Amino acid sequence: MVWMRALLYGVPAALLLFLVAAFLNATRVTATKANEMANGSTVEPSNLNPILSADSAASEVQSVIFNGLLKYDQNLEITGDLAKSWSMRQTTTFFAPTPADALAVAAKLESLRDRWAAWSLQSVRTDGLAILLDLTLPGLDTSREIFETLQTDNLDKLHIVRVGVKSSARESLDLFLQTAPSAPFIVRRWIDTSSAFELTVQGDPAPLVSDLKTYYASQPSLEATVETGEMLDFLAEPEVTFLLQPNVRWHDGEPFTSRDAAFTFRSLIDETVGSPRKSDFELVSKVETPDDLTFRVTYRKPFSPALGSWMIPLIPAHILEGKPAAWWAEHFNRSPIGTGPFKFDEWRVNEYVRVVRNPGFFRGSPWLESIVFRVLPDQLALRLAFETRQVDFWSADPWAVGTVQKDPRFTVFSYPSASYSYVGWNLRRPLFQDQRVRQALAQAVNVPGMIKYILYGNGVQSTGPFTPQLWFFNPNVEPFPYDPVAAGKLLDEAGWVRGPDGIRVRDGKRFSFTLITSSASETRRDIATLVQDNLRAIGVEVVVETYEWVVFVTKFVSKGNFDACVLGWTVPPDYDLFQVWHSSQSNPDQLNMVAYNNPKVDQWLSQIRQEFRREEIIRIAGEIQSTIYADQPYLFLYVPQATAVMWNEAYRICRPGPDGTWIDEPVEITKAGWSYWSDYFYRPEHPPAVLATGKVIRREARTP
Amino acid sequence: MNANPLIEAEAVSPEAAFATPGQRVWRRFVRNRLNVAASGVVVALAVISLVFGIASMAKIPFPSDPNATSLESKLRPPSAAHWMGTDQLGRDVFSRVLHGSYISLTVGFVAVGVALGIGTVVGAISGYCGKWVDQVLMRAVDALMCFPTFFLILTAVALLGPSLWNIVIVIGLVSWTGTARLVRAEFLTLREMEYVRAARALGQRAPAIVFRHILPNAAAPIFVTAVLGIPGAILTEAGLSFLGLGVQPPQATWGSIISDAKTYILDAWWLIAFPGAAILIATLAFFLVGDGLRQSISTQTERK
Amino acid sequence: MIPFLLRRLGITVVLLFVISLISFFIVTLAPGSPYPWGDLNPKIDEKVKEAYRKKFHLDRPLIEQYGFIMGDLFTGKLRSMKDERPVLERIGERLPATLMLNGASLAFALSFGLLWGVFSARRAGSWTDGTSTFLAFLCLSMPEFLLAYAVVILCVHQFAVPILGLRSYGIEFPNALSAGLDMTWHILVPAIVLAIGSAAAQSRFVRANVLETLREDYIRTARAKGLAEDVVFLKHALRNSVRPLITGIGGLLPALLGGAVVVESIFAYPGLGRLGYDAVTERDYPTLVAINFIIATLVLLGNLISDVLYAVVDPRVRLE
Repeated sequence: MVWMRALLYGVPAALLLFLVAAFLNATRVTATKANEMANGSTVEPSNLNPILSADSAASEVQSVIFNGLLKYDQNLEITGDLAKSWSMRQTTTFFAPTPADALAVAAKLESLRDRWAAWSLQSVRTDGLAILLDLTLPGLDTSREIFETLQTDNLDKLHIVRVGVKSSARESLDLFLQTAPSAPFIVRRWIDTSSAFELTVQGDPAPLVSDLKTYYASQPSLEATVETGEMLDFLAEPEVTFLLQPNVRWHDGEPFTSRDAAFTFRSLIDETVGSPRKSDFELVSKVETPDDLTFRVTYRKPFSPALGSWMIPLIPAHILEGKPAAWWAEHFNRSPIGTGPFKFDEWRVNEYVRVVRNPGFFRGSPWLESIVFRVLPDQLALRLAFETRQVDFWSADPWAVGTVQKDPRFTVFSYPSASYSYVGWNLRRPLFQDQRVRQALAQAVNVPGMIKYILYGNGVQSTGPFTPQLWFFNPNVEPFPYDPVAAGKLLDEAGWVRGPDGIRVRDGKRFSFTLITSSASETRRDIATLVQDNLRAIGVEVVVETYEWVVFVTKFVSKGNFDACVLGWTVPPDYDLFQVWHSSQSNPDQLNMVAYNNPKVDQWLSQIRQEFRREEIIRIAGEIQSTIYADQPYLFLYVPQATAVMWNEAYRICRPGPDGTWIDEPVEITKAGWSYWSDYFYRPEHPPAVLATGKVIRREARTP
Repeated sequence: MNANPLIEAEAVSPEAAFATPGQRVWRRFVRNRLNVAASGVVVALAVISLVFGIASMAKIPFPSDPNATSLESKLRPPSAAHWMGTDQLGRDVFSRVLHGSYISLTVGFVAVGVALGIGTVVGAISGYCGKWVDQVLMRAVDALMCFPTFFLILTAVALLGPSLWNIVIVIGLVSWTGTARLVRAEFLTLREMEYVRAARALGQRAPAIVFRHILPNAAAPIFVTAVLGIPGAILTEAGLSFLGLGVQPPQATWGSIISDAKTYILDAWWLIAFPGAAILIATLAFFLVGDGLRQSISTQTERK
Repeated sequence: MIPFLLRRLGITVVLLFVISLISFFIVTLAPGSPYPWGDLNPKIDEKVKEAYRKKFHLDRPLIEQYGFIMGDLFTGKLRSMKDERPVLERIGERLPATLMLNGASLAFALSFGLLWGVFSARRAGSWTDGTSTFLAFLCLSMPEFLLAYAVVILCVHQFAVPILGLRSYGIEFPNALSAGLDMTWHILVPAIVLAIGSAAAQSRFVRANVLETLREDYIRTARAKGLAEDVVFLKHALRNSVRPLITGIGGLLPALLGGAVVVESIFAYPGLGRLGYDAVTERDYPTLVAINFIIATLVLLGNLISDVLYAVVDPRVRLE
């Protein structure tokens, strides 16, 4: 009997006791702050293999574990990371029908030596039918200029022939080429994938094509296709040579060499690996490693985003070479080895990833002992974790910016984010095919109001697909003003007149459409509601529908199955927007979801990919931006201002200064963000030893 | 001082002893002041939701247009002009809560109605027929209870579209199992009652027996389950809206008002507090009424 | 008993497979695909997607996919589509945290529910009972997310203590006891939030049972015999009214692993509920099928145990 009473009252009492004890411990215990940085994110990395992962959480962790050949400096310009320096040159090749003709062309070029400097031409030599020009500047324009100056009929055109065959039958082409009479005229053979070959043929491709067709007709089981592609006047093959940092070691002690760079490249294009970054490297024709510290890459044609692509982190050959993808998943992807300032330590799924200091880092050991990347489910949790110092940084939402700026405990960093929001008009729908209508809609929506009230002033109106902090941004594009009257007039002009219920009508059709957005973001839903409201005022009826993110993307947006959608893009510092705006990219699951088609823009998009000269890039990008903005395939809304918050004096920077001194300064904003110097962050409770040595320049925060 | 309700109940007036069962239940019900208060709230809610439901459908802006956005007055705390403050688009929260009541309560009623319909039919067949029919149906009920409701609803909403009626029907479809079990239990018991046995012996067909004898006696507990199921449906709808799967803007339910506001929770407490209080009050009222009914009815059947 | 058990087990196994088949079809019918790099990323090559589809048999007919997944599940080779780790490992590493959370929650709910129900029953009819009833329904009516947010914000703003996750970071604890208490704190608070609704429901259940037991004739006899009210209550009434609780234990089995999705999300607690929710949003079919299967197993097993216990405890019941 007694035991019954004991149980009845005792168990709850015991539980309460536990609670009280735990609470007292949480509030009273004095604990020291560890020498560790805590970052928070709402997304967990999928894996930590840089050539396989494509999410932002993974790249945050990878940025401290790995290095690439190149990186961005604090002004968002390209600088060396694992590469000490690099140089670019190009080999342009002309082809003549006979060796004698080739020599003649070479002689003519020699006679034009006075123009060589202007052409960045360094040397000319012949090799059989080929005339090779060694240029110090990559690009097509100078080569074209030289070609046209020569004005000779003594040069053969080149033709591309594409052969598609089952991957199991690759050798069939090799067999053919060993014996075919037309084979000697093949000047380049490029393996596009495991089953498609691109042959570059000098002169008339017809004999080769017919021979190939006959050959494969006799083997129908191979299911081969042979077709003729484009015609070229010459070959232009740029080349980048990287000189690597000596004395770099992987986290397991092995030295870093050019072999690792070559291996990273081979893995990137290997289909069994399945890297999502493969398309950046498809134009590479070969890589060479003349010695341990030199790495050379040759491209099939000029491709200016090439340099940017080598910021990809490098993976260790000595660990991963020869191992299948399943082995990688088991032993590397979740416990990676890199060359970076921090080493991987521990990954607790759905809790955190921890990395610890790498004392042997080639630029010097970092001051922090460890960094933890916490995973939290939503924005609110992040904010609460920040307020209890469970994470050290927090990106404030726009409405909270005012509050945190006034809070004396926090330091606030404000910078333009690399993204923009928009309403996409599906140009396949007849409703949106008139440019006047789209421009009217742009002026009917109160974008400045949106910025003022949704972003609390933290943003600027977007004027196209580039954001203001990029060096090729065109500042001369004027944003459309908020002018509902002008909008109404434009619509009247386009034939849309107000009907009896206030909604505009044309040819019996009402101006009504469905605007879809995802349930994941309250801001996007707010935008949808505002657009609905604004457009109702000028006689356009908008029905808003919200869907779960995955459904939204896969069922509607990717398939071009919508009227209008509210979305945003994150914009890397890259001027190559081919996949988003080129007319060929509007098939299902591609990125030109609105089916934008402007032949002039198409041309510019291809052109800019082959342009290496800075002023030209700026010019072409400017044209692309202003044309797209005027065309209004999207209603470009705004570029938000990002705000990062940190507890005052939570961190300072101690970085190397001139003449062996050390600069001790507070954390401040740079063009590349406020965390650019994070390798050199230190906690004031654990100051680095060097600060005591005396050769220190100490700076304080600039008072705002 | 004896707290035995049985003894207490015997001290009853002679006229009352001859009252019908229905009247007895009623008397027992109104004796408890809590029940009366709760019923009052329920009636008030029903009236409010009806009135504002009509206003909403006829697009009458009473007391003020719940969909009128006004960016200048966003996120204002409660004041004389806006009794419950404004939300992140400047809309009056008081108006939205009132207009949203109609949808929140409709979801409760219709979802329970659907669940009731299906559950009663399944439970009746199972309880009356017995044997293998009962086994099969009960295993099916077991099976349904194993499904994680969340992604059933997610899939359904994704496939059918996020309309109010789809959500309601889906909630009904996943929650009929409790009713089925209860109805089955009632039928199993009632089937063995003398008067049913007598009816069978006399040759009455099954449908007649079910509708004339069994169902009326089982009606009371079924009704109580229904009333007790309404708050569950309301809470489920609130939960769904909270996760972003509810009705579309600009329509509002209490759950979607809270869901839209969860990011502002630290800065605008009124956006969560008022709709939350509404949900709480409505749910509580239905629970209390349902429980009161259950107590009144069970005491009554005890005395049979 | 034995033939009954065997028959039920047989039916259970068949049911399990039917359930997992149907839930698999439902999930795969939902639009969306499980690519781990998101659907709108410009750098993903079509061929890479092809290779991924082949690896997970996504190009085969649905019924074959189901076969592959079930086969892998039973041989332990099933891998998640999100990060290619074995699914059982992913579930396994969340298991301890989930068991602790749900276990603590059950402990709170049962013990406080029992106490509360008994307290209510003993004072049935008085205004204390009325208040208690009102409180119980208040707890039942509280939407989970409201309470969870309220608690979290209270901890952060009023007491300035960390509450999210499973432990506190950036702190070096003076000793192991302190670290242990820290984890206890992180577990107990969400457990209590979860338990409040259940405790209220249990209290109503217990109260009803106790009141019903108190109406029985043998209680009248005991009172008539002159036994003290206390003894009558504890020795006779309580014992017999706990019987339904015991038979209800079977239903607790799935609750030990159940999906406390909302609370786990708000408290950032690394449990199975969040795993399941993430698997749904990411369309990670293997993980979903595995979790479904496990939960279904537990529910059916729980039902079986309940039925058996019911027969054991009440000899009047005959199992067909």
